[in-house]
Amino acid sequence: MPHSPPSVSRRLLFAVAVPLVFFFALTVVVLDGVFRELNEASLRELLAEQVVGLVTAMEMNRDGALEVNLLDPESRLDVPGSGVYAAVRDQDGKLLWSSPSLTGTGLELGLRLPVGSEDFAYQRAHDGSQVAQLSRGLEWIYAPGESRNLVFTAADSTEPQRRQLWRFRQQMAGWFGALVLLLLATMAWMMRRALAPVRRLEHEIGAVEAGAAQGLGADYPRELAGVAKGLNALLESERNRIARYRDTLGNLAHSLKTPLAVIRASLGTVDSPAVQQATVQLEIDRMAQIVEHQLKRAAAGGGATLGQASVLLLPLLTDLRAAMLKVHAHKDLRIELDVPALLGFLGDSGDILELLGNLLDNACKWCRSRIVVSAQLDATRALPQRLSIVVEDDGAGIARPDRARVIERGVRADEHVPGHGLGLSMVRETVVLYGGSFLIDTSPSLGGARVELQLPGR
Amino acid sequence: MRVLVVEDEAALREALQADLTAAGHTVDVAADGEEGLYAGSEYPIDVAIIDLGLPKLSGLDLIRQLRARGKSYGVLILTARDRWQDKVEGLSAGADDYVVKPFHVAEVQARLAALLRRAGGWASASLVCGPIELDTRAQTVAVRGAAVELTSFEYRILEHLMLRAGEVISKTELTERLYAQDFDRDSNVVEVLVGRLRRKLDPEDVLKPIETLRGRGYRLSLPRQGAPGNATQ
Repeated sequence: MPHSPPSVSRRLLFAVAVPLVFFFALTVVVLDGVFRELNEASLRELLAEQVVGLVTAMEMNRDGALEVNLLDPESRLDVPGSGVYAAVRDQDGKLLWSSPSLTGTGLELGLRLPVGSEDFAYQRAHDGSQVAQLSRGLEWIYAPGESRNLVFTAADSTEPQRRQLWRFRQQMAGWFGALVLLLLATMAWMMRRALAPVRRLEHEIGAVEAGAAQGLGADYPRELAGVAKGLNALLESERNRIARYRDTLGNLAHSLKTPLAVIRASLGTVDSPAVQQATVQLEIDRMAQIVEHQLKRAAAGGGATLGQASVLLLPLLTDLRAAMLKVHAHKDLRIELDVPALLGFLGDSGDILELLGNLLDNACKWCRSRIVVSAQLDATRALPQRLSIVVEDDGAGIARPDRARVIERGVRADEHVPGHGLGLSMVRETVVLYGGSFLIDTSPSLGGARVELQLPGR
Repeated sequence: MRVLVVEDEAALREALQADLTAAGHTVDVAADGEEGLYAGSEYPIDVAIIDLGLPKLSGLDLIRQLRARGKSYGVLILTARDRWQDKVEGLSAGADDYVVKPFHVAEVQARLAALLRRAGGWASASLVCGPIELDTRAQTVAVRGAAVELTSFEYRILEHLMLRAGEVISKTELTERLYAQDFDRDSNVVEVLVGRLRRKLDPEDVLKPIETLRGRGYRLSLPRQGAPGNATQ
């Protein structure tokens, strides 16, 4: 099976899903960053408070050594590895005091810092846990007029923050994931709904293909109504064409049987060869005419169908006029064309040429010298029958009783006598195929025949 | 008369050759379009019969190429298709008449005789003499850009005079351009037609395009544009 392009709904879904997922991923990253920043800020604040607490709790004993008197006897500073640590160093970086909780953690708290500055850093303990530390260089006044420059450091394990961050991330991923899935599911559902008429169209075309239906149903949405209508018109014209071919074949076979029978019968008689030859010649002519007539009928294009371009009349009539002047060279003809340049016929160019060719040929045969072809568009009329083409001549015209007969003849080939008519039965058949009409009367200005065609036009 | 028959169907070609030879013509035959183009370009042909459905080079293309090479003899097309579309295509390509298959040889002969008399002026698409412009394809005439309605006889006389502008053309020659048969030859008709032509082409009588040379014929006195030098002598 050849590789088929992805379906329309898949394309749409893809086109929406990719930006959607990208957008949500970006949101997650941004939110994550904001959350971490907030976390760090609150941690710093907490550490700053602890530094202040440390300063407050520290005093110098009589030996000149530093002492931290914690107000809370159960302070976590006293529990080793508790996650809360503190240390005090002097200006040269010498450790003056550290909290008992530091024991065994391997952390080196504090650093050299000038008075008035602050430092925030992360450090890892032996067990791999992360610790955030805040150090401040301060001038510590321990007695009136006596002070020392010291560096106070407070440190906290970041484990609680990490756990919080992970909880936040899990929740965020869960919510956004669910949201993306929900949106995509909604999209898919909407697409199914929106494309339902297309699937219906596909289904109905399948039914037509399978022979289960004659055409497509009605009430398609506006965007598809034109397609459905056009397809129906195409199907209809195809059906008509097939029917016409079948008729033509049937008529052809039937009408050829008669001359064949005559020839066979003639060969079986005792007539002289000359008589037989004459009979055969006559029947051959008849058969040739039958074939010609049926071919013409079958070749007619068969009405306006979808997408039919319009055929400009004037260039076509100009060529036809030149052709007629050549073909009827023995006659002094004056053929006038009164046709607007942009007037067009909606249908097959071969058909309109055949129609006009027959009418003009007749006019050339029967006129004295003048022929006028005029055409105009009646835009107020609905299609078909919008284009009116009139061919008039100054000949004897067609007598009123003959008019109906001339048009009606030749509904079936069996009844048709080819070669003697004016080709008008063919004209009538073609006009009917286009849903048009055909009228014969007398020209008021030229006095001869006046033939008017009403056809689809633009 | 020398007739070229271009037809790929051997039986038909031979039948035409036999009948036309019997009628006193010299007949050249070609079985496809390329042979036809060679014969039609190289031999002094008076009239050609060309089938539209030819191998190698289609009948339509053959006619177009012959016309493009300046061959202006009459061309009769044979066609199995009896739709006007096919006939008009052939005539627009430069043919002068058509016969639909199956045909009687007598009909072909009658058409040939008519064609021989009014051999076409198809070498160029338009003829211009002074302000008069003649479109040989559409068979229309315009003076100073304004279309003039002519009858086909008036047109043919003007076309002949313009094709041979500057030459004296006899009434007999002009009459032959109009009528196929010998009957109907009335030189008064040409006088009437020339009179009408003068009125239509030059209603104010200032241009005086057609001169009458008493006892000799007519002459278009305006020089033809783009004509070979000897045409204006």
